[in-house]
Amino acid sequence: MAASATLAQGPSRPGVLSRWLFLQQQRFAWFLLIPALTILIPLFLFPLAVLLRNSFNWDEPGAIMVEDFIIDNYVRILTDGYYASLFGNSILVAVGVAVLTLIIGYPFAFFLVRWAGKRRNLLLWIIYTPLIVSVITRVFGWMIITADSGLINNFLQATGLTDRPVHILFEVSGMVIGMVHRYLPLMILPLANSIAKIDMRILLASTSLGAGTSATFARVVIPLSLPGIIAGLQLVIAVVLSDFVLPILLGTPRFRMLAPAIYDEAIANVRWANSATMAILMVAVVVLILLSMNLILRRAAPWAKSF
Amino acid sequence: MTRSGSPYLVAYVGLVTVFLLGPIVVAVILSFSSVSQLVFPPPGLSFEWYEVAWDNRKFVDGFVVSTIIATISSAMAGVAGTLAGISINNYRFFGRSAVQSLVIMPLIIPAVVIGLGLLQTLAPVGIRPGILAASLGHSIIGIPYVVYLVLAALSGYDIRLEHAAQSLGASRLRTFLDITFPAVRPGMIAGVAFAFLMSFDNVAMSIFLARGDPLPLRLMQHIQYYADPSVAAVSTMLVVISLVGLLLFGRMLRKRDVGNLA
Repeated sequence: MAASATLAQGPSRPGVLSRWLFLQQQRFAWFLLIPALTILIPLFLFPLAVLLRNSFNWDEPGAIMVEDFIIDNYVRILTDGYYASLFGNSILVAVGVAVLTLIIGYPFAFFLVRWAGKRRNLLLWIIYTPLIVSVITRVFGWMIITADSGLINNFLQATGLTDRPVHILFEVSGMVIGMVHRYLPLMILPLANSIAKIDMRILLASTSLGAGTSATFARVVIPLSLPGIIAGLQLVIAVVLSDFVLPILLGTPRFRMLAPAIYDEAIANVRWANSATMAILMVAVVVLILLSMNLILRRAAPWAKSF
Repeated sequence: MTRSGSPYLVAYVGLVTVFLLGPIVVAVILSFSSVSQLVFPPPGLSFEWYEVAWDNRKFVDGFVVSTIIATISSAMAGVAGTLAGISINNYRFFGRSAVQSLVIMPLIIPAVVIGLGLLQTLAPVGIRPGILAASLGHSIIGIPYVVYLVLAALSGYDIRLEHAAQSLGASRLRTFLDITFPAVRPGMIAGVAFAFLMSFDNVAMSIFLARGDPLPLRLMQHIQYYADPSVAAVSTMLVVISLVGLLLFGRMLRKRDVGNLA
């Protein structure tokens, strides 16, 4: 980011005046950061520290949590099958949705960058529109399409493919469809970014050296767009893990997801210490996934800059 | 890579377009339904559900509450994110990369976690869930977008313009107002617009920080208990409002930019 910043590096010649100017600039740089830091330190970093501290307390049934310094919450969450299933379900869905958006989004991104021509702005609008439409609107649309008496089932029954409705809404499948729809734009934008950076002459070189279209695609285009693929996967995995709305409105209580479970634990069950522990472990999972993907990227594409 | 694959690819892009826009179009059409059941296509058309939505105090109040929260939080994110973006782009200083990570971090930390953390921080000091708590929380998730778009606007910006202005006798404030600010304005406006939309549509933080009164929470409760087309009517009005808002923002951008060139 901001790679092209052309900047005031400090003083080029040693001297009292330039040293003074350099210090002035350092001070001004921090002066500009005051508003952001006064918001982010007390309202973002400090609450994360509070969660970490509270995760070592314990919850007295029917009362607010008791100050302590024990690791019982961590032991319970990491060993109890119910909590393990929350993390397992969420990670499974996050990875699944990320892979689906990658498969669906890649050809779209490729077309957008390489062949769209004059239609490019139109396609960009098509990608941006779902982002500005309320998630509730999109959920409502999917309810009508995937319900037992909805569009898909009407079609299936009218064509005689099934004689009883296929349950999609309020099932894992309905939730996954809604998530793929909600997060597909987040995958397409970084993909398009990295595909746009590929020099078309490399592809010509590849084909003129005898590689067919599919070989060029598999061995040149995909490796060169790896930074976009990784960035898209990271983005989608992170947002699916924290999605609260779609599991509740399109999913099923038989397949519990992490974000709604944290809410229930904190608000319905009023177990602050336990919910704090779940939240801290959720952050750990997200950070672990993002870091390991950065590592993969550095191994596979050392020339690329990871974020 | 020849163009021979194109027809299939065009068909595929068409399919993805239908997938992306289909549910939205379906919801908009259903808002004009004449019956309360969610049948598509609707048997008849009417404005009935717009009246129902308008008469529902919960929706109208929710709209007001969400607008207040989104205005306060996007203004906070706008000021903080714009100045931070300028600082990160224009200066090399000790701790710069740490600051850069900090302002992007709210994108990576799940909103549910930030919301829970703020609840457990604010409630003990007496700030109960409500408009204030929700505005503070939403400003955090707006900052990364503003910073990102300000940095994008500043890519290719030449800091020597500022040096030139100052060596010609302009004060730091004058330089900022006449040189720096016009350059970041497009990014700032786009960032604030985006932060506003993100706040207006936020659920994951509001469940902890508001008392169930922002519009998305109201719509969510409504959809869970009685899904009728009034939700679609509200949604359609929101779509119209955000499109009009974006067009206005877009126009504002272009006029100002043209003004700068002249």
